[in-house]
Amino acid sequence: MSEFLHQLTLSQGALLSGVQVTIYISFLSIIIGTAIGLVIGLVLTYAPFLARLPFRIYVDAIRGTPVLVLILAAYYVPAVLGVSLDALSSGILALTGFCAAHMGEIFRGAFQSVEKGQTEAARAIGLTFPQTVRYVLLPQVIRSVLPTWVNTGAELVKGSTLLSAIGVGELVLRTQEIIGRNFMTMEFYLVAGLIFLLINLAIESFGKYLERRLTYA
Amino acid sequence: MTESGSSVLRGIKALVAAIAGWFCIALPAGADTLNEVLSRGELIVGTGSANAPWHFKNEDDELVGFDIEIARILANGLFGDPDKVRFVTQAADARIPNLVTGKVDIVCQFMTVTAGRAQQVNFTRPYYREGVGLIVLEGAELGDYAALQAAGDEVRVGVLQNVYAEKTVHKALPEAKVDQYDSPNLVSQALNARRVDAAVMDASTIRYLAAQNPDRYAYAGKAWGPQSYSCAVRRGDADWLHYVDTALREAMLGVDFDAYADAFEKWFGIRPDEPEIGFPQEYK
Repeated sequence: MSEFLHQLTLSQGALLSGVQVTIYISFLSIIIGTAIGLVIGLVLTYAPFLARLPFRIYVDAIRGTPVLVLILAAYYVPAVLGVSLDALSSGILALTGFCAAHMGEIFRGAFQSVEKGQTEAARAIGLTFPQTVRYVLLPQVIRSVLPTWVNTGAELVKGSTLLSAIGVGELVLRTQEIIGRNFMTMEFYLVAGLIFLLINLAIESFGKYLERRLTYA
Repeated sequence: MTESGSSVLRGIKALVAAIAGWFCIALPAGADTLNEVLSRGELIVGTGSANAPWHFKNEDDELVGFDIEIARILANGLFGDPDKVRFVTQAADARIPNLVTGKVDIVCQFMTVTAGRAQQVNFTRPYYREGVGLIVLEGAELGDYAALQAAGDEVRVGVLQNVYAEKTVHKALPEAKVDQYDSPNLVSQALNARRVDAAVMDASTIRYLAAQNPDRYAYAGKAWGPQSYSCAVRRGDADWLHYVDTALREAMLGVDFDAYADAFEKWFGIRPDEPEIGFPQEYK
């Protein structure tokens, strides 16, 4: 036990930097992915068939592909085409693309659940489409999207562990490096597991907080 | 024994490597990595970060190990500065994909030379000959190879689980009982708990463990199953390959011998013999 605590003290810098990279990647992917997902959701719900088609293909292709394959593709395919992305950028690209596709589908569901009468009424009183989105649709959509959004966020944090496969120094790779030095496999994987649990519990309680706020607003 | 990773992951990576390889062949020839590296002012080396004593993070979170020292010898030859090297961390199964897609100039990551791999990359001169060996606890009753052999079927040997595990152990100890374990960590735990009398590990790992913990582990004095470790470069890059070959040869046999021998002693606990002066021994 004391040997474990000693090793834990030695490793705290590495673990901390792993946590930072994990949070940084997840945060960026969630934010950018959600923004793109919102646009995708709007297009999938309201655009004419031909405009919708490429977005539909994108969403189905990405959602039907394992995250690990997306990550490897984001790392190797640009290199083959002559643009060499480093591992971190490739990882953010892959997770953002993954998040955007999922959020697009979630937003589509939410927009479609708003009664058609409301958009018609909005048009009747002279609101433009952006105004309708801003004042009529979004306030309702955000509320219904929140629980699944939080869920997607937690999925992304877990998905970010796969970036260790391309050498991104996130928490799992940093943990493997620590184990490579001190051979305390069980102990340090347990530590990493607990940290992931803490991160996801924090995301979940943040989501609950937002839900409460928006319900009473 | 140092290969790891799930077969699914290996399959995907092999596919990526195949696609990337196809594109590389499709690209016009005439790659000149040597000049590229020189004008960049920095060598980019693909290696791992979680396998002692080859490439791993020390307690100060710096990348160290024998592969790292080899990379520094190459950088020193290029720039007169062993620190002008950037390491790209990669999993063992990313070694060939990262090389053929141009992510790195060279891979130095305990890479076993095989005829199959030599069709995808160009191997340099080997800088180490790996094998498996027998590790025992310091002061154990069956403390060396002769004692283990004499004990016949009374001996229990731990080994990392793999297809050839039984065969590998029985090559050295034909009658020994073999216990297979899921991870290298469990093998050493079994040895520590005296559930096995000896364990079979990579010879380099044994040398490293014995050098780090001389009062705990000992090398039982038997190694077998040779495999060569080389760096790898992209195919069809003759000047670059020739530079690396020359630098490695002169580190093992010539003017940079001290740098190589220091690194060898640091990580494996023994110092290689200095090359004979006079007729070049490699031609004998």
